[in-house]
Amino acid sequence: MRKVLLVLFVLVIALSLTVSALAAPKVTLRVAWWGNPTRDARTQKVIEMYMAKNPNVTIETETTGWAGYWDKLATQAAANNLPDVIQQDYAYITQYAQKNLLLDLTPAIKSKKIDLTGVSENYLSGGKVKRKYYGINLGTNAWCIVYDPAVLKKAGVAPPSPDWTWADFEALATEIYKKTGVQTMPYSTVEPRVLFQNMLRQTGKPFFGADVTKLGFNDTKVLIQFYESQLRLLKSGVLIKPETAFVTTTPQESPFAKGQSWLEFVWSNQVVAFQAAANRPVALALCPKIANSKRPGTFFKPSMFFSVTRSSANKEEAIKFINYFMNDIEANKVLLAERGIPVVPKVREVLQDMVDPVNKQVFEYISMVGKGHVSPIDPPDPPGAGEVLKAFRNIDQEVLYGTISPKDAAKKFLKQGNEILAKNKNAK
Amino acid sequence: MGFLQNNRFRALLASDNVTGYLFIGPFVLGFLAFTLIPVLASIYFSFSRYDLLSPPVFDGLRNFIAMFSDENFWKSLTVTLHYAFVSVPLRLVFALFVAMLFNRKSKLVGCYRTIYYLPSIIGGSIAVSVMWRRLFMADGAVNSALALIGIKSDTSWIGNPKTAIWTLIILAAWQFGSSMLIFLAGLKQIPGSLYEAAEIDGANAFQKFFKITIPHLTPVIFFNLVMQLINGFTVFTQAFVISGGSGDPMNSTLVYALYLYRKAFEFYDMGYGCAMAWVLVLILAVFTALIFKSSSLWVYYETKED
Repeated sequence: MRKVLLVLFVLVIALSLTVSALAAPKVTLRVAWWGNPTRDARTQKVIEMYMAKNPNVTIETETTGWAGYWDKLATQAAANNLPDVIQQDYAYITQYAQKNLLLDLTPAIKSKKIDLTGVSENYLSGGKVKRKYYGINLGTNAWCIVYDPAVLKKAGVAPPSPDWTWADFEALATEIYKKTGVQTMPYSTVEPRVLFQNMLRQTGKPFFGADVTKLGFNDTKVLIQFYESQLRLLKSGVLIKPETAFVTTTPQESPFAKGQSWLEFVWSNQVVAFQAAANRPVALALCPKIANSKRPGTFFKPSMFFSVTRSSANKEEAIKFINYFMNDIEANKVLLAERGIPVVPKVREVLQDMVDPVNKQVFEYISMVGKGHVSPIDPPDPPGAGEVLKAFRNIDQEVLYGTISPKDAAKKFLKQGNEILAKNKNAK
Repeated sequence: MGFLQNNRFRALLASDNVTGYLFIGPFVLGFLAFTLIPVLASIYFSFSRYDLLSPPVFDGLRNFIAMFSDENFWKSLTVTLHYAFVSVPLRLVFALFVAMLFNRKSKLVGCYRTIYYLPSIIGGSIAVSVMWRRLFMADGAVNSALALIGIKSDTSWIGNPKTAIWTLIILAAWQFGSSMLIFLAGLKQIPGSLYEAAEIDGANAFQKFFKITIPHLTPVIFFNLVMQLINGFTVFTQAFVISGGSGDPMNSTLVYALYLYRKAFEFYDMGYGCAMAWVLVLILAVFTALIFKSSSLWVYYETKED
């Protein structure tokens, strides 16, 4: 009996091997992204649609949250086992491109294997490292203020205009506090540099420049303003105390959702999550202008990219998949701009008419920004950026907790930031 | 097929040595793959510049030298020392206290023991740390409880740089279970006749505790102290979750292991991370050696003749 079973088993294996060898060449692609439950479900669905259309392609997916994603990717890179298609971010793309881990996609764009007809360079240049495209923008983001219009109405103040200044902002925040008791969040607690960067860019300087061995600015004037403006509001009780403000990790925990703050500083693709957490109507506004503003501080940031890895054995198939992801209308109807506003015009037009009211506000905000309230994006973050940003956040906390003066804090940050980036001199 | 029926093969399988090796095989393989080889590799990495994305480059002592001028390194070391030196004694005192309570004879003791051991089983988990975070937030249960007894507080305990580390220390003290069980076993070993003799001589409870219980327990205290100190120095999960992975506020909960993790996996400086790990090994070795050296002064072994 045992012998019979064994023979049968061998036969079955042999047969299945022959069958698969006869069929069309099978390709297995590995696609990795960081996400959230909504993004995962939608992306999974699109991948199934793609596999149904291309029966010879099997796609294996790998997904984690943001925090674990970069550890995992780095370990896979160390083991020379990167997936074929990886979701990339503006903060990491230079590092990965410079280590020769990503495929130059410029030829694929030129030959229209990835069809980006009619897409403005403003949306694409974020994926460039040293004049080559290493990432395809999956959605556009812009920094914005999301606020509660009901609070403004209750306080009897007019909603902010696109040309408002930081002086207007402070006056508005104070007025709201006096009339309603609703406070103001410190300036972007999760990632304080983004709001400061918006102010700094208005002077024409970048936070990180093209030179990866030092910071993009050396004048502390704007940084001191950034600190002092917050301290003024903190002193008058308008600003939420740092011990409460910096504890937040989810939109649900945020003072905005709890009605303690009238605003929150977010990327436009986070508006939906914050509106859902607050569960009441929201409105969007541009960041205020500094005195003597030379240009708009707001810019279009690719929320994330798809990149093909150089180690991929199926680069052509990977490119085909990205093209489908970017251009297929049905696929994008499933994705529903969850990764940011699509850059391909025909896709954007279709989606604009079918998204829910909150997403529609985001679409409108992005198109408003596009009409004269935007300036070109700065070069991608250099290697070591993560550590610099951590130092920035730490020093911002020190100022708000009152352990350092704005002047000393600004000096301290310039010193620390430049020290961290100077390490890039050793790397080739 | 044939070789299964082969007698020599069967004889081989039946031999004691082969069976023994087969049984320890999984462990040896796991030990090599997941412990010994990574440990050896990390020695090499600690002497190299390694960003995970490209192969490590030998770099001499640079990582170790860089630590001296790294403000965050010193901060993380101070935070960890503070944490370990406060939480370990606190946990041991608490564990001993509860063990003494459970050493009495009572019907429900078994039940209580289980209940009080629970925090230690679930203690290292993410869920408890998340709960801890919520308890000590500005609108958390701790402030509500304080309000009930008339103390009005809107402090966020985890957001205040002065109190944040204490939430971690209290969490550590709460997880006294494993030390408590070891103390309990130690208490059971103390001969009852000693207490009876002491009672006849008119000793009170304090005298019995300090003259009989403590001296007899010193070997157990010694063991617990070493184990818990190592635990204290390597604390990670709780600090990671409660501070949202950042060591907030103002690095006041940036424990050593958390900073090491950030360096290695978030800032992609694996060489520095490995170097930090080896420095921690050294620090722990020094502390453990000190405890061992001092043990002849305070640890009492009944079998020792002197």
